[in-house]
Amino acid sequence: MNVTATLFGQMITFIVFVWFIKAYLWEPLTQAMESRTKKISDGLAAAEQGQKKIEQATIEFSTRIDQAKTQASSIITDAESKSKNIVEEARVAAREEAQKIAKTSSQQLEQEINAAREKLKSEVAAMSLLCAEKIISKEIDKKMHDKIIDEVVNK
Amino acid sequence: MDNNAPATDNPVDYIQHHLQPLAVGDGFWRINIDTMFFSILLAGIVMIVAYRVGKRVSDGAPTGMQNVLESLIDFVNGLVKEAFPKPNKIVGPIGLTIFVWVLLMNAMDLIPVDLLPKLADMMGIHYLKVVPTTDPHTTFAMSLSIFLLCIYYNVKIKGFGGYMKSFMVHPFGIYLAPVNFILTLVEELAKPLSLALRLFGNMFTGELVFLLIALLPWYIIPIPGSLWAIFHILVITLQAFIFMVLTIMYISMASEESH
Repeated sequence: MNVTATLFGQMITFIVFVWFIKAYLWEPLTQAMESRTKKISDGLAAAEQGQKKIEQATIEFSTRIDQAKTQASSIITDAESKSKNIVEEARVAAREEAQKIAKTSSQQLEQEINAAREKLKSEVAAMSLLCAEKIISKEIDKKMHDKIIDEVVNK
Repeated sequence: MDNNAPATDNPVDYIQHHLQPLAVGDGFWRINIDTMFFSILLAGIVMIVAYRVGKRVSDGAPTGMQNVLESLIDFVNGLVKEAFPKPNKIVGPIGLTIFVWVLLMNAMDLIPVDLLPKLADMMGIHYLKVVPTTDPHTTFAMSLSIFLLCIYYNVKIKGFGGYMKSFMVHPFGIYLAPVNFILTLVEELAKPLSLALRLFGNMFTGELVFLLIALLPWYIIPIPGSLWAIFHILVITLQAFIFMVLTIMYISMASEESH
């Protein structure tokens, strides 16, 4: 074999080929592979973190739910007792009010009865006086008799 | 047509005709057009594929050709990382290029041995060697490029003095310096020589066997032909792989600090 231009032509081809592969294939692809490796490991780490967060959240969630349940039941019992109290109070108040109303009305009634009785009494007295006056108008001094009648009435 | 006429008429002529490259020019400027054409054609195809994949490369889920090339790169990178303690930016691309290029050039061997020469003959081209790696120019071009790169790394890492010193003291110590020099020189020169000749020899004999099979009567050809082709797939891949691995090894030896 002689050394000919073919050898150098092939060498140049080879060198250009290597340069081209390095620039346009090897470098972008290795970079992409590296960044993919990084992406995947990042993703796995993130997934693990997310898992942990979910676990924490689940725990927190269940404790909150429990809290809420106890709170709700306590609120309900509170409300129940309160409402019972209110009802009881209302009942008591109503009864008192009723009693008061009854009392005052009976008093009023009594007063009115008394007043009526008084009035009747005085009217009866006046009438009897009038009658007596008419009967004995000419026999007895009016002033003396008034005194006697008043004494009687007051008794 | 006379030279390409039925093989059995004149076997020696037939084989010699097939081993005659399509060449122009004389002396140094003799250029094997077929070798250049097919090697550049295959390199061009690879470059187009590489360019298209490299342009649309994504770091998401790889698809199609990117997948194939990524697994190839991973494979080559694994070999490089085994051989190189320190990261080296150029060895990987060289290894990948060699593997792909040599594999494709060798694979030209599997095209029926008379097909392309016959077609060329119809178009008025009377000589055609289809497999670039059966031309020692191709194999030596690669091995000499690698040899030069090895010298560059030797000088860069050991310094020129250190490189010369390694010729003097290896393997028998400084007192036998002349013997050492000759031995190391032979050893160093044997590397590119063996690298180129191994590939050339394998491919040349492979082609020769295909030619011999083609000389058989047509009704016998299919049996040895297909058997040899199947076996040759192994040779093609293995030779491409060996060339790549030895390239990586030689460059890694050249870039070691000192023996």
